[in-house]
Amino acid sequence: MSQTLPDMARSPAARVGADKPPMLLADGVVKRYGALNVLDGVGFSVNRGEVVCLIGPSGSGKSTMLRCCNALETIESGRIVFEGTDLANPRTDVRRVRQRMGMVFQSFELFPHLSVLRNVTVGPLTVLKMRPDAAEQRAMRLLEKVGLADKARQHPAALSGGQQQRVAIARALAMEPDVMLFDEPTSALDPETIGEVLTVMKRLADDGMTMLVVTHEMTFARRVANWVVVFDHGRVVEEGPPAQIFDTPHSVRTRDFLSHLGWSDAASAAP
Amino acid sequence: MTFDWSVLWTYRARLLDGLGVTVMLAVVTMTLAIPFGLLLAFLRLSGARVIRAPATVFVEVFRSTPLLLQVYWAFYVLPALLGVGFSAITTALIGLVCNVASFNSETFRAGIMSIRPGQTNAALALGMGRAQVMRHIVLPQAVRRVLPALATTWVSLFKDTSLVSTIAVGDLSYAALQIRSETYRVMEVLTGMAVLYWLLGYPQAKLVDWLHRKLKTAE
Repeated sequence: MSQTLPDMARSPAARVGADKPPMLLADGVVKRYGALNVLDGVGFSVNRGEVVCLIGPSGSGKSTMLRCCNALETIESGRIVFEGTDLANPRTDVRRVRQRMGMVFQSFELFPHLSVLRNVTVGPLTVLKMRPDAAEQRAMRLLEKVGLADKARQHPAALSGGQQQRVAIARALAMEPDVMLFDEPTSALDPETIGEVLTVMKRLADDGMTMLVVTHEMTFARRVANWVVVFDHGRVVEEGPPAQIFDTPHSVRTRDFLSHLGWSDAASAAP
Repeated sequence: MTFDWSVLWTYRARLLDGLGVTVMLAVVTMTLAIPFGLLLAFLRLSGARVIRAPATVFVEVFRSTPLLLQVYWAFYVLPALLGVGFSAITTALIGLVCNVASFNSETFRAGIMSIRPGQTNAALALGMGRAQVMRHIVLPQAVRRVLPALATTWVSLFKDTSLVSTIAVGDLSYAALQIRSETYRVMEVLTGMAVLYWLLGYPQAKLVDWLHRKLKTAE
């Protein structure tokens, strides 16, 4: 579509980690559900140490894109390359790739039959074949990091949504991933617990974790992201540093999307 | 009408022997029908048609025909087909295991399918393989969810073992019916038989109820 071309102009500002090849690269990704092109030639990249946020209207393909990144969904064409490994290559060991990517889901997906501690150790124990005491040590350190060490013996059902999501973050971190994928991590949360999850994510970003975040939390994207990619109808309509996206969006559709959220008013009111 | 309950005491040894056979049949059947049922469930959940189809046929045949017929069939037809004879008790076990395994397979399959895909995705995202996901994440949850249904099957099985008396397996029913025809004390023997089944079956049914409640609160 030619009208998107002028919008694609990139900010000249150097991206974090741009001196090295991107850790994760999506290029011309097409994903179909029946006749519907959920992803219609999507491309973007994530450099080491970056926090990249995918934003856009519901149904624009952001979450699907994220799930394609660790091969929970297959793609029809294009490529997704993680650390030089093409995920679509039949010889790629997808499990190896997934071990190095942590994923956090909208609906937490903690394992309800396991205690909080076992939720965090189950990956290291089964996948990494860690010794139980070492796995527990690591799990307790991570639970402490997300502020839930005192809940280790509880079952997930006894926790609030925000607490469950923090455990889910600890569970993903227990695999010591190179990148963390977040799929609308706060969308299923009560407003009063969103903050505690975003705080944990912010701290993770400050520690230098590479993160790819699908989110509707524009304040988070504005403050924490180094790079923002705007989706609409299965395409990337604009990408750039948050200052560009939120203050001087190039694309009409970015502007429309943000104004629907009531953002553009705030931005234009800002000095 | 006069009752002579002493007949039960006189024949107590045979009744208790029969009871022992009944318990043994139920225990052995379930012990075999759980792994076999699980295997059938996995086969039916397979993506490959050639694996799925035979398991489906097996399950649907054994679920949709009377157990009595299956026991008869195993007794009269199976030896002729295979050219080898089995003892009555082996025949009874073959019939019971195939029948109960078919029901168990449907129970397990329903349980496995009731675990939402997000759980599998979360486990896959950790880097687990399909078998690990099944073993560590899906199956433990599924089994917990279907335990009450399995327990109900067990209670039915315990009573249904009485059908094997028709091929002269010396279970409680067989012993009682033999004593009845030897002594003509129909009322006493049948009542005694009922009491014996009830004494064993009722606590089990109560146990099932307790399981239902306990697992409900654990969810």
